[in-house]
Amino acid sequence: MTDASAGTDEPRPEGFSHLVIEVADTDRAIEFYGVALGAGTAVLNAWPRADEAALALASGQALAFRAGDDGGIGKESGVHQAYACPAEARAGIADRLRACGIDVATYHEDRPPEAVDPFYFTDPFGNRAQLVFSPGEGAGISGIDHAAVEASDIEWEEEFFVEQLGFPVDHRVGWNTADYVRARAWAEGKEDMAPGTRRMDHRYRDIPGAEPGRGREVARPNMQIFLGLERGAIGIFLATRHRQEPAPETARGTPRTALAIDRAGLDRWAAKLAATGVAVEGPVEHAPGGPLAASLYFRDPCGNFFELCTPENGSPGR
Amino acid sequence: MAEVESISHSGICVHDLKEAEDFYCKVLGATLHSRVNFKTQDALRGRSIHATLALDDYVFAIMLTEDWMEVPERGQLRGANRTRHSFCVPRARFPEIVKLLEVNGVPFEGPVTHPDQGPFGESVYFRDPTGNFLEVLWRRDEDVTYNTVQPLGHGGGG
Repeated sequence: MTDASAGTDEPRPEGFSHLVIEVADTDRAIEFYGVALGAGTAVLNAWPRADEAALALASGQALAFRAGDDGGIGKESGVHQAYACPAEARAGIADRLRACGIDVATYHEDRPPEAVDPFYFTDPFGNRAQLVFSPGEGAGISGIDHAAVEASDIEWEEEFFVEQLGFPVDHRVGWNTADYVRARAWAEGKEDMAPGTRRMDHRYRDIPGAEPGRGREVARPNMQIFLGLERGAIGIFLATRHRQEPAPETARGTPRTALAIDRAGLDRWAAKLAATGVAVEGPVEHAPGGPLAASLYFRDPCGNFFELCTPENGSPGR
Repeated sequence: MAEVESISHSGICVHDLKEAEDFYCKVLGATLHSRVNFKTQDALRGRSIHATLALDDYVFAIMLTEDWMEVPERGQLRGANRTRHSFCVPRARFPEIVKLLEVNGVPFEGPVTHPDQGPFGESVYFRDPTGNFLEVLWRRDEDVTYNTVQPLGHGGGG
C-alpha cells in the first residue's frame, strides 16, 4: 500500500544501481557471492572507487565490496541486503551455503512481498542477506531486490525521504494493532521473526495487572517504513540501541545504497538535497570507460550512506 | 478532597495510527504535535506507541491498542461504545463541518436538532476509522459569558 507520493513531477530514482557492503577481504567476497551465491565472477573494470571491487549482476546492477570492518551490525538489527534470485537456484545455493558452514534461516518479515519462502543467511563477513525468489531460470542471484538500513528516528527519516525528497511509502510496520498481535505471537514462540522486526520492551514503569515478575515487559513490533522504488524498495528499521553515527559532514562512506537516475535528474537532485541540509558530495564526474558516469553522495539524517548515480550510457534503463 | 478543575487531555484508542492521524488531522483539522515510539530512545524506555494531537486547545492522544477492541457494527453511527468524544464548533462553522464529512466520505447521522431549552443546538454523529463514536455540535450558549465559579469561602462547605 503506497500512502504518500509527494513531488511526483520530479525525476525520481527508478531502482538500485548497486550496493556497497563492507567485507574483511574483497577477493573472498567476490568468490563467495560469485560462486556460492551464483552471481558470476564478472568483476567490473574501472569501478570509480579504487578501494572497492564490484561484481556485475545479470540485472545490470552491481554488488560492490569494500575492505573494512566485518558487517556485524546486521546480525541483531533489521539491516540486510536482499537479492533477487530465480526459484530454480534455491536448492543449489542452500547446498553451497551449507558447504561453507552457513545456516539458512527461514524466519519472517512483515512486508507482504517477502512473506513467501523466506531465505536468510549471514555471509562470512557478518552481513545479513536475504534471497527473494521469483520464477525464472539461472544459477544464482540476479539482481538487488531491496535493501534495509536502520535509523534512530523513523519520523525524521520519513520527513526527509517522503516529505522532502518525494519517495512514496510502500509499507508500514508498527502502526497497526495487527502488528502488536503478531508481536505477542512472536513473544509466545508462535512466530519466528527476523531480527529488527520485534522487540521485547522493558517499560520504565510497571504495567498494572501484569504477571508477577513480568510487570515491565511487553512485546512490541519494531517500527519500520518501506520506501517504494519503481523496481525495489528501501526498508528503514528503528534502531533498537544507540550506535555511533558518522560525523554529520561525512557524505560518502560504506555501507552504501546506490540508486540509478538519469543525468538531468542527478543535477536536479543535487540542488534538492542541498536544500535539505544533509551532507552532500558531488556530482562527482567519474573517469570514462567505467560503468558509472557521475555520482552524488549523501547521508540521511540518521547517518546512512546513499548515492545517486548515472550509468555510463546516461540512462538507468535497467 | 481534591477538586479537579477541567479536562486536561484524553486518550482515544485506535487500531491504526496512520489512518487515525490522517482522519483527525485531514478531516477534523487537528494538528500533530508528537509521536512516541519512533525514536530509539523511546524504544529503550519501553514507551507505548501513540501520537499527540490538538484540536484548538483540546489535546488528545491517539493510542495504538495492543489487542483488537470490540467495535459495534459499522452501520451504527450514533452511540457510545463506553465513550463518545464530542467536539464543539461555533454555530457559523457547523455547516462547514457537515460539508467536510460529506466531502471526505465519512458517513454521519444528523444534523440532529436538540431541545430549545438545552445548551446544545445541533449535532452530527459519526465514527473515526477505528469505529470510535464522535460528535460535533454547536452550543446555543456560545455567546453567553458565564460568571466565574467562585471558590467556596470559609464555612461554605456547610
